[in-house]
Amino acid sequence: MQTRSSETLLRRKFLLGTLGGTTLGLVALAPRRAAAADVTLLETGSSLLYPLFNLWVPKYTAMHPGLRITTQSTGSGTGIAQAVSGVAQIGASDAYMSSPQLKKSPGILNIPLAISAQTVNYNVPGLNDAGIKLSGPVLAAIYSGKITHWNDPAIAKINPGVSLPNHGITPIHRTDGSGDTFIFTQYLSFSTPEWANSVAYGTTISWPPVQGGIGAIGNPGMVQACGQTPYSIAYIGVSFHAQIAKAGLGTALLQNRDGNFVLPNPATVGAAASALEAKTPPDQRISLIFAPGASSYPIINYEYAIVNSRQASPVIAAAVRDFLTWAVDPSGGNAPEFLNVVEFLPLPDKIAALSKAQIAKIR
Amino acid sequence: MSVSQLALEFPRLRGRRIRTRIGWVLSIFAFALVALPLADILILVTVRGISAISPQLFLSATNGISGGLLNAIVGTFVLSGGALIIGVPIGVGAGIYLAEFGTGSFGFVVRFLSDVLTGIPSIVLGYFAYITMIIGLGWQFSALAGAITLAMMIVPYMARLTELSLRQVPLSLREAGYALGAPERKVVFRIVLPPAMPGVLTGALLALAISVGETAPLIYTAGWSNYVWNGKLTHEPIGYLTYVIWSFINQPFASAHALAFAAAFLVVLVVLVINVSARLILFARA
Amino acid sequence: MHTSAFRIGTICLAALIPGMLIAVVLFLALYSWPAINFNGLGFLFRDTWSLGNLYADPVSVHGAQVPIGAQYGILVFIVGTLATSFIALLIAVPVSLGVAIFLAEGAPPRLRPTLSLIVELLAVVPSVVYGLWGVAVLVPLIAHYIAPGLSAVLGFIPFFAGGSPTGFGLLSSSLVLTLMVVPIITATVYSALLQVPRPDKEAAYALGAMKFEVAVRAMLPMVRGSIIGAIILGLGRALGETMAVLMVSGGALNYLPATITSPISTMASFIVSQLDSAEQDPTGMAVRSLAEIALVLFIITVIVNVIARMITKGLHVGLATRA
Repeated sequence: MQTRSSETLLRRKFLLGTLGGTTLGLVALAPRRAAAADVTLLETGSSLLYPLFNLWVPKYTAMHPGLRITTQSTGSGTGIAQAVSGVAQIGASDAYMSSPQLKKSPGILNIPLAISAQTVNYNVPGLNDAGIKLSGPVLAAIYSGKITHWNDPAIAKINPGVSLPNHGITPIHRTDGSGDTFIFTQYLSFSTPEWANSVAYGTTISWPPVQGGIGAIGNPGMVQACGQTPYSIAYIGVSFHAQIAKAGLGTALLQNRDGNFVLPNPATVGAAASALEAKTPPDQRISLIFAPGASSYPIINYEYAIVNSRQASPVIAAAVRDFLTWAVDPSGGNAPEFLNVVEFLPLPDKIAALSKAQIAKIR
Repeated sequence: MSVSQLALEFPRLRGRRIRTRIGWVLSIFAFALVALPLADILILVTVRGISAISPQLFLSATNGISGGLLNAIVGTFVLSGGALIIGVPIGVGAGIYLAEFGTGSFGFVVRFLSDVLTGIPSIVLGYFAYITMIIGLGWQFSALAGAITLAMMIVPYMARLTELSLRQVPLSLREAGYALGAPERKVVFRIVLPPAMPGVLTGALLALAISVGETAPLIYTAGWSNYVWNGKLTHEPIGYLTYVIWSFINQPFASAHALAFAAAFLVVLVVLVINVSARLILFARA
Repeated sequence: MHTSAFRIGTICLAALIPGMLIAVVLFLALYSWPAINFNGLGFLFRDTWSLGNLYADPVSVHGAQVPIGAQYGILVFIVGTLATSFIALLIAVPVSLGVAIFLAEGAPPRLRPTLSLIVELLAVVPSVVYGLWGVAVLVPLIAHYIAPGLSAVLGFIPFFAGGSPTGFGLLSSSLVLTLMVVPIITATVYSALLQVPRPDKEAAYALGAMKFEVAVRAMLPMVRGSIIGAIILGLGRALGETMAVLMVSGGALNYLPATITSPISTMASFIVSQLDSAEQDPTGMAVRSLAEIALVLFIITVIVNVIARMITKGLHVGLATRA
């Protein structure tokens, strides 16, 4: 008995030793930056902004050795929450903070980094190449269960000549705290008083019960669910256009405030942005949804970096300031080489100036 | 008379034979029902993950949505290792108490609460750890918080499985030990524990598997880092493979998907290797 | 007999378990107390979960600051949790027993380690990988084959009719949970069956029983305690399972499942998917209500354990009196 147990113990010690040694070896092998000068920043939040941050960070950290920036895709809600609590230095969000939130946590800056848009996509076999026209009221009715079939008269009315199938619609929404939900529901609220009074908008809302309605997580969750579910409809951030194309989803033409049906492209998004640019207040909390203009695309928004104006140390504050300043600069993060990949629009000069003014407040 | 001839003469026997045959078929079918999805999972993960395997994977860290998995691999080792270091001694100790001395009401309470603890969703423990360690103690995202949370999850499993295997050891062995005048410590470690080691080891392996595979609690305690762990137990987030699986599959880039499947492949491979090694240990003893 | 230092040592370690649990429960209860007050008993029976209008000023309702229109009800999630666990166990228990019997008695002894390894591997596959496989393979399978099949064969029962446009839902969640629970039950029952003393088995054979009958009629009852224990462990895993269910459940909100393929949400998956949204609520009532969900889930787990204990105790008493 004694020999056996010591044998086992020996074997176990050997295994543990090998494990430990391998770990230490791997750690030693890995290229390490100078420990003393390391500044570590954490960016977390919007899944819509995540692809862009992942293009920025490698480029920027290559220019600044000693700086470590970790990116995470967790949803706008988490981005705001962790920026406020200080766990993350930069919170990414498609939604600006609400007044009650700011009252609770004064000193949090909402800094636009770029302009993005959102598409409403659908998966209707046979019609995914032709663009189905949809309006805010129609979408509101779909998402509240009042319109249940694709060939509903309300949809047929705005799509003359299109043979819509007699099939149930499966509306897909985001379950996580999502900036995409925020801008989508703002579109529904601004265009449909009935929705505004009952459901309103937010990063998370109480979706009206629709039997069979699906909740997905993250933008690609939306793409996946829509792609796998015939006759479904979803709202997806524009930075996922490649995945949308790959999944073969259709993109809807949305009715803007002037009544025209438009697709998102630099022209229509730019038109919406310039219509509301002048109205942007110094704290830059403004909705760009349902902008006036004949060719304006109705669902566009500023992508925000939610940052606490008081950072843990001057060194960290400087690092955050430098990074964000680079990000909003047309020769830095706002250059076409980054924005074109995700189909975002650069900030107009006046807005970039406002952003820089806010960035300067970070101490 | 052979059994088959008997069966013809006695209908009840024939009925029993038929039922027995059906029974075996059903149980083999049950096994297939279990083995086929496993095979499918392994095939899926291998086929999609192997395309991303390259030396680069093990030498560089994730860089946003591409790169390698070094930081995640090291992180998983550190977090699981830490969880075992903290959790196994506590769990086995508790299991020893339950099996050897836990016949009273305190033992009943510990046993009962141990089962209850296994039922707490991992996200609850993660959130609890977030509020108490990350925010409350100010550790920020840290390896230590992650390891402690994982340890909290594996202790009840270890305790119950240790107890169950110790219970299978016949009472006579213990009595012999005590009769020889051995103190409790010696009876447990030298006499009772060794034959139960296969069960305890299986428990430790299940615990390791749980640690390697957990995601929800680590999201709120270990956070995530694109950089290899620099040895700091607190105030420094750490990466881990399951985060890559969970999060990178949600990215629109093929490189991210490949990394996610590669990470899944690695996790499954590591866990397979652990299991096979455990079997080898167990059989070397026999 | 004096208490040895060793015994005291093990007592201290064992005491950490109740200690941990008390800490978590205290935290949950204290943290969710304002929400418990605000939500009242209707929390369990309301089927609407609404965070209210987060972009308008909060109002004071029943003495607590909450967003306008905030109303928290978790009936949908309770039903989702119980339904998935129940269906998972319904399928898992017979399958696990079948596999355990096959491993212990039916398989050639040389093959046993390999075969039991295969079953154990199911236990070590991480939850996210199950979710990954669920989304990639199981969900389309349900959408294209299983759901229409169920509808064709059992369609006269409304619960099974209707097919599934998406595949996400109660069925996919339950099946994934089944796969996760089977290895736990099987491993425990298998090792218990292996421990059945040979004389007891031989006695059954001597009475003329066939191999399968020995396994089912003689050995299984002997390990009844292990079986119940294994089922509780399995149920614990099923009730608390988060990630895999999160990825295949369909994330239902504000409606109860009507068929076996309806989307659902479980309490655990809901907490994960809603935690960051809840943090958007400046009044904090949403996160406290989520903590209340965790508390409810915890209480359900306790109730389940109590019932299981009573069953096990009853069995032991029965066996004792028979002897």
